[in-house]
Amino acid sequence: MSLDATFAALSDPTRRAVVDLLRRAPRRAGELAEALSMSPPAMSRHLRVLRECGLVEEERPDDDGRARLLRLRQEPFDELRRWVDEVERFWSGQLAAFKAHAERRALGKRR
Amino acid sequence: MSGAAGDGATATVSVRVPPAEAFDVFTREIDLWWRQGPRFRIAGRRPGQISFEPGVGGRLFETVELAGGPHAFVVGTILAWDPPDGLAFEWRGVNFKEGESTRVDVTFRATGDSTLVTVRHSGFAGLRPGHPVRHGLEGAAFSRWIGLWWGELLTGLREHVAAS
Repeated sequence: MSLDATFAALSDPTRRAVVDLLRRAPRRAGELAEALSMSPPAMSRHLRVLRECGLVEEERPDDDGRARLLRLRQEPFDELRRWVDEVERFWSGQLAAFKAHAERRALGKRR
Repeated sequence: MSGAAGDGATATVSVRVPPAEAFDVFTREIDLWWRQGPRFRIAGRRPGQISFEPGVGGRLFETVELAGGPHAFVVGTILAWDPPDGLAFEWRGVNFKEGESTRVDVTFRATGDSTLVTVRHSGFAGLRPGHPVRHGLEGAAFSRWIGLWWGELLTGLREHVAAS
């Protein structure tokens, strides 16, 4: 599992929609296909990508052996989060410099 | 924070000027506010200037005085230019291959007598697998990439270390 695989998996809008749904609650593959108006085989292909990169895992409900619930794994999101944080720190720093300049300049004009 | 999309980062700031002024200062005066030094500029401590060419199809670029004369490093082409609401431009690092690009969207929204400025940098998922931007970039190394301004390439390690 790598950041590359996470990026690649999440570059697809359908897979991002799956992640958004699973963020709210674990679901079965059939529920996901229905929620996103997709055929079960098409959904199955997307879920394979998400499982292979470690974003999603299967869990078997305690009470029966029906279709397995799918849920998100935290680790890839932590890694992604750290990376995104770096990008955000860069731009936050630039915007702070922009704010300082723009407000100093506006103050100078009013005087 | 937009890490949920997996493909972008967002930063915002509130500035006590109207949107039209914020847009003008952001674009016309970028050289006056963009941070200085080898972590943020190709020029490092040499004379140089960073500029937007206004309008769609214009460029964001940095000019640097090299021994052989001035040289322009193009960051990217302007994709949208809608003062005072916002702009968008390509963002290419010097280590990007042909056809590789990320995208920066900037919006200016009036809030009372201030302007909320939002920067969204996205498109990392479109970079090739194994792209150096995705590997172990932290702190200064990350700033060098994201700032594009290739520390070791042009300013040398000594200068970089001094600045860190």
